[in-house]
Amino acid sequence: MSGGDIAAIFQGAIVTVTLSLIGILIGLPIGLGLALIRWANVPVVGGIVILYVSMLRATPLVTLLLLLFFALPNIGVPINPMSAAILALVMNTSAFNCEVWRSALMNFPKDQYEAAQSVGMRAGQRFRRIVLPQIVRVSLPGLVNEMSLLIKVTPVLAVVGVVDITRAAVRIGAQTYEPLPPLLAAVALYAPIVFALVSLQRWIERRQVAAEAAA
Amino acid sequence: MIAYSSARSNSLLRRLIFGLLAALFAMPMLIGNAKAASLDEIKKRGLIVATEDDFRPFEFVKDGKPTGFDNELIEDLRKYAPFEIKQEILPWTGILAGVSTGKYDVAITAAIITKERKKSLDFTSPIADATHYYVKRKDDKSISSIKDLNGKTVGVQAGSALLARLPELNTMLEKEGGKLGKIVEYTSYPEAYQDLALGRVDYVVNTIINLKTLVAEKPVFEVGQAVSGKSFPAWAVAKDNKELLAFLNEFIAKEKASGRFAELQKKWFGEAFPDLPVAFEPEF
Repeated sequence: MSGGDIAAIFQGAIVTVTLSLIGILIGLPIGLGLALIRWANVPVVGGIVILYVSMLRATPLVTLLLLLFFALPNIGVPINPMSAAILALVMNTSAFNCEVWRSALMNFPKDQYEAAQSVGMRAGQRFRRIVLPQIVRVSLPGLVNEMSLLIKVTPVLAVVGVVDITRAAVRIGAQTYEPLPPLLAAVALYAPIVFALVSLQRWIERRQVAAEAAA
Repeated sequence: MIAYSSARSNSLLRRLIFGLLAALFAMPMLIGNAKAASLDEIKKRGLIVATEDDFRPFEFVKDGKPTGFDNELIEDLRKYAPFEIKQEILPWTGILAGVSTGKYDVAITAAIITKERKKSLDFTSPIADATHYYVKRKDDKSISSIKDLNGKTVGVQAGSALLARLPELNTMLEKEGGKLGKIVEYTSYPEAYQDLALGRVDYVVNTIINLKTLVAEKPVFEVGQAVSGKSFPAWAVAKDNKELLAFLNEFIAKEKASGRFAELQKKWFGEAFPDLPVAFEPEF
């Protein structure tokens, strides 16, 4: 492998991290929003959310991506590979995040919510001060798990021409007819990315424990 | 309360599911309406060209930059065309589908002309001679000619013309009392070569040009004999996009006349093909 090849894999790493981050940052709040709609039993919209989540959980990411990429231009929505990739990632991850958030919401003790009501907190205050801090803590392991899966599913985005770590490695293998060295380099790059994410989770958890001990 | 709300959402859910199913079935009709861009439209917005990223020596990426036979021709095309050329680089899987749905105007890659593909695509003048050959491990003494391929495992690219024309090899083998062995399909050729090296397949079928480049780099492999009749790769445009096809054929004719075509063929394929047909009607 030449220096240029290693640079190409690092270029791919930038794409992998950027797309994963965008997917996580957009997918996380959308997932929470969807979970809240279901939790609050909103008529009609709640049903649509159930349908959205079950359809997206049943659709493989590659299939969804190819459908968006080839079908949207036919109904007059031009879409480039990057936007199609981000849209597919966000749609996919928001459905899974919704279920993680929802499981935390379902287990949320109702008496706390009623207690907050009785001391006169408004809905926004109740959510921000009572519900959110507690469901974040319960959901965190599940959410981080989903995020690390998201990072590792990014190679499928290559099918529309997005060059991530794995695609960059495959290209080098195709050019040198030596597929093993670039693939080893690729594997070595995924590990620190996921490790950084898990470290972030540990740090947040430690901070929460410390905050509780102080309280 | 839960029972009540689920009963209510059930009928709603059913209507929604029906609606979505209907939408799903309507989708193919929309896709059927996909129309290729005319030359006038292309002149306004630029020509969208799709190329492959791991098909050496036609197109591949070296140090992050596209190179190979077709990519050098695209450089010439940029100078020749009176409009902008926008290039998209992607794996083989999405290329022909993208051209027939109108996502890309032309696939500048070595797409072998076949009867099946001619139903949804039109092809330019052939860019090379790509008769199919087999390649084997040099140290595999059990294969020395076509008849030894009897019952042996073969690797080819999924959805490729090489796969579609394996029955031709089967006919050759049947004449000798043998038959085609197990077929393993790969998304792209580098994986097939890797499996050949590892002994998971006994031989791989690809065009002579690809295989010559392979053995020049990797002397552990050895090219065998031809396993198909005449076969030509060309660039593909959407069916009946006559204006664009004529424009590209004119470009190819000009490159041939100036000697540039032969020069690039020599550089990338190791030989020039001076008597390529201008148009080719496939038998298969």
